[in-house]
Amino acid sequence: MMFFLTKWLKGVLTHRPERLLETMAGVALTVALLASLGIFVTSSVQVMTRRAISDVPVDWQVLTASGADMAAVRAAIQETTSCSVLEPVGYADTDGFEAGSGNATDSASSNGTVQTTGPGKVLGIRTSYASAFPREIRWLTGARQGVLIAQQTAANLHVKEGDIVTIRRMGLPPVQVRIDGVIDLPAADSLFQAIGMPAGTAPQAPPDNVLLMPDAQWRALFDPQLAARPDTVRTQYHVRIGRTLSMDPDNACTEVTQMAHHLESQLAGSVAVGDNLAARLAAARADALYAKVLFLFLGLPGAILAMMLTIAVAASGSQHRLREQALLRTRGASISQVLHIETLEAIITGMGGILLGVAAAVLIAVSTGMAENGNIWGWTAGAAIAGWILAIAAMVAPAWKQARYHTVAASKTLMRRTGDFLWQKMWLDVIILALAGIEFWRTASSGYQVVLAPEGAPQISVHYEVFIAPLFLWIGGALLSVRLWERFLSHGRNTLSRLVHPIAGNLSDPVAATLVRQRFTMTRGIVLVALAVSFALSTAIFNTTYNVQSRVDAELTNGADVQVSGLTISPPGGRLAELEALPGVTAAQPMMHRFAYVGHDLQDIYGIDPRHIGDATHMSNAFFEGGNARASLSLLEQHPDGVLVAEETRNDFQLQPGDTLNLRVQFAADHHYHVAPFRFIGVVREFPTAPRDSFLVVNAAYLAQKTGSDASEIVLLRTSGNPVQVANRARNIVASLPGVRVTDITAAQHAISSGLTFINLRGLTRIELLFAVVFVMGATGLILAIGLSERRRNFAILEALGADHRQMDAFIWSEALLMLLAGAMTGALLGVGIAEILVKVLTGVFDPPPEHLYIPWGYMMLLATAAAASTIIAVYGMKLIFRRPVVEELRNL
Amino acid sequence: MNELVRMDAVGRVWMQGKTRVPVIAFFTGAVLPGDRIAVMGPSGSGKSTLLHIMGGLDAPTSGHISWPALGDARHLRPQKIGMVFQMTSLLAPLTAVENVELPLLVGNVAPVEARAAAVKALDDIGLISIADKFPEELSGGQAQRVAVARALASRPKLILADEPTGQLDHPTAQHLLDVLLAAIEYSGAALVVATHDPAIADRMQTVWHIRRNGQEEA
Repeated sequence: MMFFLTKWLKGVLTHRPERLLETMAGVALTVALLASLGIFVTSSVQVMTRRAISDVPVDWQVLTASGADMAAVRAAIQETTSCSVLEPVGYADTDGFEAGSGNATDSASSNGTVQTTGPGKVLGIRTSYASAFPREIRWLTGARQGVLIAQQTAANLHVKEGDIVTIRRMGLPPVQVRIDGVIDLPAADSLFQAIGMPAGTAPQAPPDNVLLMPDAQWRALFDPQLAARPDTVRTQYHVRIGRTLSMDPDNACTEVTQMAHHLESQLAGSVAVGDNLAARLAAARADALYAKVLFLFLGLPGAILAMMLTIAVAASGSQHRLREQALLRTRGASISQVLHIETLEAIITGMGGILLGVAAAVLIAVSTGMAENGNIWGWTAGAAIAGWILAIAAMVAPAWKQARYHTVAASKTLMRRTGDFLWQKMWLDVIILALAGIEFWRTASSGYQVVLAPEGAPQISVHYEVFIAPLFLWIGGALLSVRLWERFLSHGRNTLSRLVHPIAGNLSDPVAATLVRQRFTMTRGIVLVALAVSFALSTAIFNTTYNVQSRVDAELTNGADVQVSGLTISPPGGRLAELEALPGVTAAQPMMHRFAYVGHDLQDIYGIDPRHIGDATHMSNAFFEGGNARASLSLLEQHPDGVLVAEETRNDFQLQPGDTLNLRVQFAADHHYHVAPFRFIGVVREFPTAPRDSFLVVNAAYLAQKTGSDASEIVLLRTSGNPVQVANRARNIVASLPGVRVTDITAAQHAISSGLTFINLRGLTRIELLFAVVFVMGATGLILAIGLSERRRNFAILEALGADHRQMDAFIWSEALLMLLAGAMTGALLGVGIAEILVKVLTGVFDPPPEHLYIPWGYMMLLATAAAASTIIAVYGMKLIFRRPVVEELRNL
Repeated sequence: MNELVRMDAVGRVWMQGKTRVPVIAFFTGAVLPGDRIAVMGPSGSGKSTLLHIMGGLDAPTSGHISWPALGDARHLRPQKIGMVFQMTSLLAPLTAVENVELPLLVGNVAPVEARAAAVKALDDIGLISIADKFPEELSGGQAQRVAVARALASRPKLILADEPTGQLDHPTAQHLLDVLLAAIEYSGAALVVATHDPAIADRMQTVWHIRRNGQEEA
């Protein structure tokens, strides 16, 4: 037996190596795609986790109880976390602050105006704190040490460095301190979080009034308050965890949470842990799941397509195999022996394909740098197993079926099928499409929530049902296209004849008849091309839309290509003309950024010129309720006192359009907050530079009139060139303004990519688009190879009958062009439809959601060129095969 | 009278690897209009190859062949030479009538005229009833008769039939030959038939015997 098998294999490798190589290529393609995508996801998740960890300003904030043994707390933290940084921070509550306006030396103002604030907090930090946790403090003006005042507090008190502020301690006489610098606290939400409280039971908003001072000074001022009012003074330890965490966000989150629980149990009652790192990792868990969801949405159809192509390749030689099997059986071979042969071929094919596929995947991983970030071998092994199963399924299973049930005569019935498939009789295609529609509607009505990550829940889950809509559209669309093309080819002979006439001339009718009679083979080819094209297009359109939307997201975060932001006392708006004149700036728009009280809630308020704000930054329809940016801005322009508020504010205050909304805004004259009437005209959801929670958008002119100050704290720049260069030039212009900051969109894009929002899809895009081109080429080439022996025989007869090469070409080109064009057309429809659904279903990925799909015309041209080139290559390849002397074929007639 | 085909010491060698295998050697002969010639010889003696060379499908490796009455070798088929093969050579995707009209369309005859000629050719051999059937729906005999009709439809001056009855039972074979002879009687075409069957050879005017190495016997 072994001798026979070896002999057979040698014969196959010597005389018909293409039959193994074709299937081997399919297996390799499948393995390479699966492994590459898997490596990409693993790599992305690890990058995401690493960034998530590095982005957290403070890993843990450990709140100590009154009377806790601080040395024991420190030791326990050290032991539990192997912490690299451990900083004590004092938190003292105060009744508020006071300052006299315009007096740099005393709170008793010379002109008699005194500003006071509500309750505030004073933090005591060591000099090493700022360098230990650099993301917590951003210096705006003045010194970096000493007493530092938060920007908003400085604005409320109208103080600057050198001024005196009075701290009204609780239960003790007030004390005065001199301000050394003004700062911003970018992570105020976590810095002032309520630790140890169940979610929702304590106010989460950070205080409006904050002072920071050196640890020693703080102790001198607040140790007495600790004695008098121990409930108002606390000490936290801010920790940077030293242990190496898992690179999987889910595991890392669990590890960190367990560490926190361990510490709390060790120091029972003495500490409560504010676990910022776990909270960030919990968000990254959702991001990681999104990444995997994206993999499924974008990658799986490609893998399925690769498998289908492989099976189709293997099936294209089935007639020849059938004859071989029949010959073997008539010479006495048993079914088992026949299957041994097929198994041996499958093993050779599988091993070769797996080796090639793994090599390609490793090459891709190494060349794209993904190998450094992820464990490439886990996914590669999985892909290899899939490739192995595919080789068996493509080669052995059909052989078994043929050996068991078919006869040689049965192979001649290939074109004889006249009835419909069972699924056609059952209208399964229409049913599946209807189910896709229903599921899409259900997903839409649930707000496109793909990843369910309830706050505080230990586990998150993916709403996998949302897969159904695009998956069923893909399957249903493919089946429906089978039905429709079969129907067209059955009844459209005259149309076909007219269509092929330019190529076939006098032979247009026989050519059309050939196409009609081969409609099942033709339809199979068309659908394969269509699926390849739809995969390529849906992936490309989704990715392009994603990339465009990532930029919109970055622009939303940064405000524009370049943002120049500063303080009311030194507004960059004063340099508008110079900024606008910078090379590379196509538009510049000033924007006020102040604060206003809505009831007791302090919100950011933006004063804009609604007519021109869109010149400098993208005004997305998604920013406004009603989904029409132009209409919303026009409404604001028509109502000088109009105000757009957040949905939450509208609901809290039960506002109706036209209602008067009294806001308290700071007047320039006395720096006090006074009531100014505005008219509620609509809801704004997001706005460039605005925070994600509540904020207000009003007309700049009206805000300036009411406050007595037309200072524009922000200038937005739209650029035509490199935003980084423009930002550098802008920095030179505003360098003399204290507290001014210039940021460009590239920094925002980097910041965004640290979240889910997120995975840089460029790697995935490159991989998938590369494979998509290969699929399209494979499908167009393959379809012509299907039924090659039958085609060869027909061409021999045609040549014997006197047909010249041009006439024979008409048959090949008609087939090739019909499959290519019909497949491309069907694939384009299917691809755009799937992309539309993908974008809709993955709305959660986009912030803001895209207004329409973005078509990658360049890639489409590349794809069309590749498809055309592969068709031309296949046709000419076929003609090379047919160049074999016609008499050789005629001997078999 | 102008010869349709003239062969002078025609030889054909096949290459099997580096080995030269002579199939036909020094064959000399001519076909005149109206000739009925049987080419007889054992399997592998080169009968098919000889017909392929005569039909312009293959070229001799030695000797010389010409078609004095038919003209340029590049324009022999389909109008001047018609061919019938051993096994069914109909194109499966086309019906019987479409198969028959195919050589005419290849020869740039207008589709309407080609269809009329095809119908007539089928009618002439009594197969008009199966004109719209596909090859897979025909019996072996019917398929071969359609192939004969296809060869006749373009009214060629020479018909080359390569064992046209090889796959048929005797009565069917005789019937096919009747049809073929009747048709060429009417059209005046010459016929060269490669065959093993002495009964068929008996019905021809001339018999060319070929030995196993492809040499002419008589």
